[in-house]
Amino acid sequence: MMSNLTGAERARAMLITGIGALIGLIMAVAGRNDVMGAHGWIVLLFCGVLFFVVGNALYNHEPDEDRAASYYDDPTKVGIILTLIWAIVGMGMGVWVASQLAWPDLRFDAPWSSFGRIRPVHTSGVIFGFGGNALIATSFHIMQRTCRARMPDQVTPWFVLLGFNLFCIIAASGYLMGVTQSKEYAEPEWYADIWLVVVWVVYFVLYIRTLARRNEPHIYVANWYYLAFILVVAILHIVNNLAVPASFSGAKSYSAFSGVQDAMTQWWYGHNAVAFFLTSGFLGMLYYFLPKRAGRPIYSYRLSILSFWGITFFYIWAGSHHLHYTALPHWVQTLGMTFSVMLLIPSWASAGNALMTLNGAWHKVRDDATLRFMMVAAVFYGLSTFEGSFMAIRPVNALSHYTDWTIGHVHAGAMGWVALITFGSIYALTPVLWRRETMYSWKAVEWHFWLALAGTVIYVFAMWNSGITQGLMWRTYTEGGALRFSFTDTLIAMHPYYIARTFGGLLFLIGACIGFWNVIMTIRHVPELEPDLDYPTPTKALEPALPAAE
Amino acid sequence: MLKTLLKPFAKVFEFQAKTHYRAERHSMALTFGIILAASVGGFVEIAPLFTIDDTVEIDPDMRLYTPLEQAGRDIYIREGCYACHSQMIRTLRDEVERYGPYSLAVESQYDHPMLWGSKRTGPDLARIGEKYSDDWQVRHLVDPRALVPESVMPHYASLLDAKLRLDDLPDRLWALRAVGVPYSDDMIEHASDDAVGQAQPDSDRADGVISRYGDATAVRMFDGRSDRVTEMDALVAYLQILGRLTDLPAQLQPLAKE
Amino acid sequence: MSVKDRDPLTGHQTTGHEWNGITELNTRVPRAVWFFIILTHIWALVMWVLLPSWPLVTTYTKGILGLDQRVEVEEKIIAANMGRSAWADRIAVLPASEILGDPAMMTQLNGTAHQLFGDNCAGCHGRLADGGPGFPSLVDGAWLWGGDTESIMETLRVGINATHPDTRWAQMLAFGRDGILPREDIRTVVDYVQSLSGEVAQADTIAAGSEIFADNCASCHGDSGAGNTDVGAPDLTDDFWIYGGDDESMFTTIWEGRQGWMPAWEGRMTETERKVLAVYLQGLGQEVAQ
Ligand code: HEC
Ligand code: HEC
Ligand code: HEC
Ligand code: HEM
Ligand code: HEM
Ligand SMILES: [Ca+2]
Ligand SMILES: [Ca+2]
Ligand SMILES: [Cu+2]
Repeated sequence: MMSNLTGAERARAMLITGIGALIGLIMAVAGRNDVMGAHGWIVLLFCGVLFFVVGNALYNHEPDEDRAASYYDDPTKVGIILTLIWAIVGMGMGVWVASQLAWPDLRFDAPWSSFGRIRPVHTSGVIFGFGGNALIATSFHIMQRTCRARMPDQVTPWFVLLGFNLFCIIAASGYLMGVTQSKEYAEPEWYADIWLVVVWVVYFVLYIRTLARRNEPHIYVANWYYLAFILVVAILHIVNNLAVPASFSGAKSYSAFSGVQDAMTQWWYGHNAVAFFLTSGFLGMLYYFLPKRAGRPIYSYRLSILSFWGITFFYIWAGSHHLHYTALPHWVQTLGMTFSVMLLIPSWASAGNALMTLNGAWHKVRDDATLRFMMVAAVFYGLSTFEGSFMAIRPVNALSHYTDWTIGHVHAGAMGWVALITFGSIYALTPVLWRRETMYSWKAVEWHFWLALAGTVIYVFAMWNSGITQGLMWRTYTEGGALRFSFTDTLIAMHPYYIARTFGGLLFLIGACIGFWNVIMTIRHVPELEPDLDYPTPTKALEPALPAAE
Repeated sequence: MLKTLLKPFAKVFEFQAKTHYRAERHSMALTFGIILAASVGGFVEIAPLFTIDDTVEIDPDMRLYTPLEQAGRDIYIREGCYACHSQMIRTLRDEVERYGPYSLAVESQYDHPMLWGSKRTGPDLARIGEKYSDDWQVRHLVDPRALVPESVMPHYASLLDAKLRLDDLPDRLWALRAVGVPYSDDMIEHASDDAVGQAQPDSDRADGVISRYGDATAVRMFDGRSDRVTEMDALVAYLQILGRLTDLPAQLQPLAKE
Repeated sequence: MSVKDRDPLTGHQTTGHEWNGITELNTRVPRAVWFFIILTHIWALVMWVLLPSWPLVTTYTKGILGLDQRVEVEEKIIAANMGRSAWADRIAVLPASEILGDPAMMTQLNGTAHQLFGDNCAGCHGRLADGGPGFPSLVDGAWLWGGDTESIMETLRVGINATHPDTRWAQMLAFGRDGILPREDIRTVVDYVQSLSGEVAQADTIAAGSEIFADNCASCHGDSGAGNTDVGAPDLTDDFWIYGGDDESMFTTIWEGRQGWMPAWEGRMTETERKVLAVYLQGLGQEVAQ
């Protein structure tokens, strides 16, 4: 991979990793009395290793490849492998977290392994590690293909991909050491937050520059979604993470906001992390790989417009549905509830657009597990958004909030939608990227599909049951009008569901492991094949004589 | 009927689709469109929370966390207790009857960040302060299942052996003041001493805590030992102040059950 | 591609573009989508008119129903209290013996007490109220402060060694640590106290022990060691122990002293609720005794 970089690019990479290593050293020294010091060493190690890898190849001969005639896929390949590694780490953590609730002593008695510390390793591991890498890798692939243009340079994509993974490593290792801001899905401390801003700005610039080079007059829908993902996540991240560090030599910082304002900001962020990280980006993925795999045109361009802008506009308002009946003023709750319900239609419009695209290709869905992954993902997307809008209605939320129902909803979305669309896309993408005929084993894909589906269904049903049971038990009254159950009674009732959930999660994890194996075997053992058309076109495509929408 | 009703909408949309067809040729048009569409909601919902008067109740007697309590709060965050425990009693009958008066905004006025939580694997802790003894809290944290056999809570026995870090407390209070908590210079200067004093009632530093933070401050050996100040001292001191920074909830909801 | 392209399957026009093989149809937005958009928007509009919703710089629209979540829950709680008053008032006035003798009332009462006890007391006294190390059993009939309804209710109201201004105050002195008794004497008195509940001990130990006991312990635990409910000193002649009756536990008790901490529940529970619990405990005690 190094041989595809020019000498100048290698030098630039050395400079960047050298600066990174220096920053790591400064952190390690300044933070020597604090956990921040440990992070300094991690940064130093990470950048140091890269520095030497690049340095080693500094004087290798220049690449002879014709850049204008090919896409730059190396970062995508690495990104896909990282996605799968994070999938196993994150979901493995999920299974462990789940089993701790069923068998609380299932840990090594160490402070780092307590529930409160490993739970965020799971959530960040799957959302950022698995989801984030999948989004970055596929976005590199899709933006080049749909623009028919190569990325403008070869260092920035690496910077984005590896910089983002450094952020994930700092986040996950930090939680184990007790470094957290406690803001859900934004737990990393101030220095990691600042680093992510840098990575993200570079990501945006890379995206825009590639779009600017495109040989296609129109920007394809998938790119709208990726663009929204990049932009809005940046806004959310910056505002929600505003904080004042207690000192520059320590990890601890305090949120700029407090109380109600902090709660609203946090859930404006938290909800829209769902919207723009777990939804918008993955819809971009769906909009590319599903029609591609099905070989069918998108059902409706107009529906795409409607759902894209609907989602972008309405989602932002819905965050306050995480704060129903709390000390947040009633008026904000009403807005959150109504906008969440209005949001349902654009959400369903995008799920419907995907499913209608399959018209004429249903026989492929039957035969091809890869396409089936995408189809089921769209169904779960529709399901979880319906459920979400339902749960956003105040009286419903009175029952569901604080219970496992929320966890069930999360995983219908996270496993059923996010993870399934990702796996489907990876199976579609791997042969294209590595120029292979097919996946190594279609049977393994089939197995993965059924394990993932069974795992999701078991998980989600277990949590619906436990959540609704718990919610109802909390508010059950005796005939005399007194509360019927103590909190401990509900703990006893939860136990069997927690075991079932762990089992479902385990199935899902096994599926992911099979997927990883299958991808590695494909790369190593399937013969090469040159695809028909997979290179940038130098000529600009023309506007159709009479554009249909006009 | 439906058709005529839909007509104006369809017209508007048709116009929008046409504009869109042109706009989607420009990445910057998309960029600004997205930023605009995604900014409205957040602005309308968050900004007024700073300007509408009755968003946060006013209580001039609202207490501040002492340095020891604040250190305990930081440990609560570090250990991820918020992953299982909420600190927010909702305005629902069963919650008020189970946990006490519903939570007011003023109660978390000085909470940077708030710890309202989003999942109740364990009970709500908004009013846990002084519900149990220090001894119970310590024993429960050391081995939850010894006291509640059904519990799924992890144990935190190591806190009992972990000496509380004192040297960075002034920095922490300073940062909190920077974000709006009214700590005085005096409080910041004596933060480390006050943390020790609050956990060592016999020491001469105990008086300073009372004089700076008020008579109602609990000055006790929270972890049962006076020879040193541990993280357990801090965490239990924090748990014992929860729900007791202001009397407002009890005053506003005297009817709760009588 | 030109605009005349049509999808052979549906007959719909495409938009005329193609991205790496992907095309789009220019299908109309289905009617159902418009219908549901209008439906949800109308619903939202109605909600905005009825409920507090839109912010206006320093205030917000209150909604024509004039609802507010706080007022709503307060009304519900008042209504709930009214609903309960029918039997709660009776519990409040009837003597415990009468309640205990009325199976219907006891069913009602036990149903209420289950959650109250489970969420507030079980953490210390156990789910079955049978105590644990450091926390007395409440069903063994051995009461520190008396087992009649009034005494129990008072214990619940003010707590023991708690922060309540009227709290019951009880302390077992640290005879060893504070140097009141030498190690030897404590060993002797331990054997003596154990003999009170039937364990065999040598005659001279008993003699020496009873003397130490009379000088140091009787003031609280009574001459015969049967305890004193005025000062919360436990009966040492029965077989119930808070801290354990074996040599080591008892030695620790006398060497280091004890001061149990029972929270005060006034302010957290109403008087009726405290009575419910007191009667519940008496009922449990009776059951266990049978
Ligand atoms: C795995 C989830 C979990 C985590 C993490 C957790 N708890 Fe708990 N907690 C529980 C459960 C379940 C209960 C109820 C059973 C019990 O009392 O142990 C509980 C009970 C409690 C109670 C008693 C509440 C009452 O009203 O009886 C306190 C206080 C408490 N936890 C504090 C903490 C603190 C402090 C931390 C972090 C250092 C923490 N918990 C972390 C699950 C958890
Ligand atoms: C923090 C732990 C704790 C909690 C919670 C607690 N208790 Fe106690 N309770 C104790 C201790 C300790 C004692 C014994 C005090 C002593 O040793 O002097 C006690 C004593 C009592 C006594 C007096 C027993 C006697 O023999 O006179 C009663 C009655 C009682 N508790 C009932 C309750 C009820 C009812 C609740 C719930 C509303 C409750 N307790 C909650 C710790 C607790
Ligand atoms: C100042 C009054 C007082 C004196 C004097 C006193 N006790 Fe106690 N004793 C108590 C009280 C009060 C308790 C209950 C403490 C608690 O439950 O927290 C108690 C508890 C005990 C217990 C534990 C009972 C159990 O159930 O575990 C033993 C044993 C005991 N005392 C023995 C003695 C002996 C022997 C002496 C004399 C050497 C003595 N006490 C002197 C007040 C006293
Ligand atoms: C192997 C499969 C998985 C298992 C066993 C699993 C297990 C768990 C468990 C036990 C929790 C904690 C719930 C609680 O606190 O009660 C959790 C939370 C969470 N998981 Fe997973 N999970 C899995 C897969 C995923 C995936 C693939 C994603 C996302 C892409 C995901 C996202 C989340 C999120 C966002 C939360 C936090 C939910 C909340 O706070 O409401 N999980 N998971
Ligand atoms: C129309 C779309 C959606 C709406 C209206 C919606 C609504 C909701 C509601 C009401 C809650 C519960 C809040 C609470 O009571 O605490 C919730 C939680 C959550 N939802 Fe959704 N949801 C939607 C789609 C999705 C999707 C597609 C995902 C994908 C993964 C998702 C992930 C989550 C997560 C992670 C949480 C847990 C947040 C937390 O408490 O930590 N949601 N959502
Ligand atoms: Ca952060
Ligand atoms: Ca959550
Ligand atoms: Cu949400």
